[in-house]
Parts: sequence; C-alpha cells; structure tokens
Amino acid sequence: MNNLLIVGQYVPTNSIVHRMDPRVKMLIIFFYVIFIFFANNVISYGLFTLFALGSTILTKVPRRFIAKGLTPVWFLIVFTFILHLFVTREGFVLFHVFGLPIYSGALEQGAVISLRFFLLILLTSLLTLTTTPIEITDAVESLLGPLRRFKFPVHELALMMSISLRFIPTLLQETEKISNAQASRGVDFRTGPFRERVRAVIPLLVPLFVSAFKRAEELAMAMEARGYRGGEGRTKLRELRVVKRDVAALVCFIVITAAALITRDYS
Amino acid sequence: MNRTGRLTASAMFVGLMTVGANISVWLPFLAVPIGGQTVPLSLQPFFAILAGLLLGYKWGAYSMGCYVLLGLTGLPIFADLSGGFGVFAGPTGGFLLSFIAIAFFAGFIMEKTAFRNRVFAAAFAGLLVNYLLGVTYMYGAMHLWLGVAISYKTAWISMLPFLVKDFCFSMLAAFFFSKVAYAFGKSKVSYNTSFK
Repeated sequence: MNNLLIVGQYVPTNSIVHRMDPRVKMLIIFFYVIFIFFANNVISYGLFTLFALGSTILTKVPRRFIAKGLTPVWFLIVFTFILHLFVTREGFVLFHVFGLPIYSGALEQGAVISLRFFLLILLTSLLTLTTTPIEITDAVESLLGPLRRFKFPVHELALMMSISLRFIPTLLQETEKISNAQASRGVDFRTGPFRERVRAVIPLLVPLFVSAFKRAEELAMAMEARGYRGGEGRTKLRELRVVKRDVAALVCFIVITAAALITRDYS
Repeated sequence: MNRTGRLTASAMFVGLMTVGANISVWLPFLAVPIGGQTVPLSLQPFFAILAGLLLGYKWGAYSMGCYVLLGLTGLPIFADLSGGFGVFAGPTGGFLLSFIAIAFFAGFIMEKTAFRNRVFAAAFAGLLVNYLLGVTYMYGAMHLWLGVAISYKTAWISMLPFLVKDFCFSMLAAFFFSKVAYAFGKSKVSYNTSFK
C-alpha cells in the first residue's frame, strides 16, 4: 500500500536537461515521437538513437532510475520481438527453432520495431525524470494556450491538474482508511459468495465519493474566500522563459531530425 | 454549484479514477487468475461513467481529459500504477482515451434527455463508446505500429470477457449513482445531482 503513494518519479540532479524550459522538452519529445516513424534505415535510426542516448547521458540520472522507468514496457518490447520472429515470413530461412523456421526478414523487422519502442519510451520517460509535475502543468497550460481562442478552458484544465496532483495521494489514503473502517464494522471484502463481494463495493465507494466531494466543496470555498475568480487577469509566481540552452537543444534536435529525414530511403 | 466548485470536483475525480484503476488493492476479488497469472481488473469505466453523470458532460469530459493528460506526462495513475507514453503505445491505450468520450456521452444523455431510466441508458452508452473506441484502437495499434496482423473480429473476441465484466459494472454504476445522490443529500454536500 505504501508504494501506492509514491507519485511522480522526479530525480533531482540539476543537470542541463533539468534546467531546460519544460515546454521545449515537451515539444522536442512530441516531434521526436512523430518523426521516429519516418526512420527506415541504419543511418536514420542511428541518428535518432544517438539523440535519445545523448539526452539520457546529459540528464545525469542514475541508470537504475532509468531502468525502473522502462520496466513496465520491457514485456511489450520483448513480446513484439518474439511475435515477429514467428509470424513474419520475409527474406530467407536463417535457422529453425522447435521446428519453426525463422526468417531473416523477421529478425530484422522484430529488431527494428523493438528498437523504435525502446527509443520512444526512453525519451518520453526522461521528461518525468527531469521535470517536476508542477513544471509539467505550467508547460501544458502554456502550450495549450492557443486553444483559449476556441473557448477551451486551458487555465482551468491546468489548475485541475495541479489540484489533482495534490489530492491523488490523499484519496488513495482515504480509500485505505475507509476500507479499514468498514472492515472493522464487519464488511467482508475478501471472502463470501461473489454477489456479496460485489456488494462490498458500495460501503467502500459511497463514503469515498462523499468525502471527495466534501473536500472539493471546502477547497472551492477556500479558493473563493481568497479571491479566486478564474483565469482572467491572473499572474504567475513561476514564469517560463526560453533561454540560450533551450534554443541550443532545439537546434540540436532540428539538425538531427533533418539529417535523419535526408538520409532515409525514399525508394 | 458554481464554476470553482465544478473545477475542484473535477480535479477530485482524477483522484477517484486513480483509485478505480487500482481498486483490486482493496477489493481483492477483482484480481482474477487468468491462465496462471493474476490479472487485476479495473473499475475505470465505472468511474468514468460516474464522472459524466455527476459532473455533467462538459466537466466530466474535462476531468477525464485531465486524467489522461496527467497519465500521459508520466504520473503512475493508470492501472497497475503505470503511466507515461508507453501505455498509449500499447494495444490498450484506446480504452484510456475513450474515458473522455464515456464521460461526455454518459453525461450528455443524462443532461439532455428526460426519459425514465436514462441513467441506465447513459451507463450503457458509456460502455458502448468505451469498447468501440478501445477495440478499434487496439486493432489499429496492432496493424500500424505493433505490426501484428489480427482480424477485427479476433480483437473483439479477445476483449469479450472484459466486456461482460464492464457491462455488469456499468449497470452497477447507474445503480450506484442513485446511492451517491442520496448520500450527498444526507451529508449536506450541495452538489447538484438533479441537473437544473
């Protein structure tokens, strides 16, 4: 249960990547995710791998934290690779495993798709490793800013994100508390016929909803008592600013992407 | 309830979704052994439907959008405490995106129609949207980037056991809605469940 409460995986090392503008980091990752699908030969993949590995080294985050970020997807990566080995039938037969032929094309395609996955997950996990959740919400607000013109409540969404960051651990704790309280009154969450156990959902979740909405109401009142009137004319404590290192990172990314796009096969 | 109240309530729903995604911690019967492996089931569609019903279609959708965005940026708030871009790259990412649509459609039916039993219709619409988007995304993901050619029918069949579970729980959500509305009245939470 206690490990449920660890929200976020920020590792403070104060590297150059940590100090970068979170908007620039998000933009780079967004376009990286798109452009990596254009890579189709050794050089273009090599360039994208170089960029991902280079950024990883620059973050100075210890290796075990990076490995931890990758654990949930290892299975997917290995699974797609193995599936490709047996399903794809291109190229010539390399060897046999348990009587099944393994084709050279299968090995190649499996490796390429796994590599692409690995790079995608690696670079995207760097964002949370080097950026605090508050910086991320600030960046989301700023990046979605243009949508304000279409009456999309950008400010409200960003505020919701920061409020929920604060209350996710609280609500997890609350669920634990209610579960214990109801168990002490004799509600059985673990044994009994299936119907009875489904019914146990009600004494667990009704109090949870009530307490969550009570908290919401109190918070709303407290915000209004302090003069919150929506996003109109609101100033910020932390201002985001694009500085030299952000421009350098962007230029670096653009050069590598352009090189990869030039060297890919167009036939 | 005013705009600030709706905003904070929507933010709380992100927390509730996190609880719903990992509910098998507290309700161990939802961790079902399938093929020698325990698969923890989630109650996310149940909570997404309730988001639509309780917050209304607009704020319900914003709230779910906020949940998806936060998860996308890497917070471990999805099932099994996962999060990040990898979840969306996997075959089940469409179910996560569909939560926005679930809350929208469930809330829309609840707010804009007036027939009896519309709560159940709303819950059912939510379930439908959930699986239509989820399975189509899964099929697309398999073909476009996972490179596994399965037929659309196979994708549906593989999700059938979960569909049965979610059908039960979406109907329970409709039933649960009345319970919560009653409890709100008793505990003086001024949240408006009658949609005026």
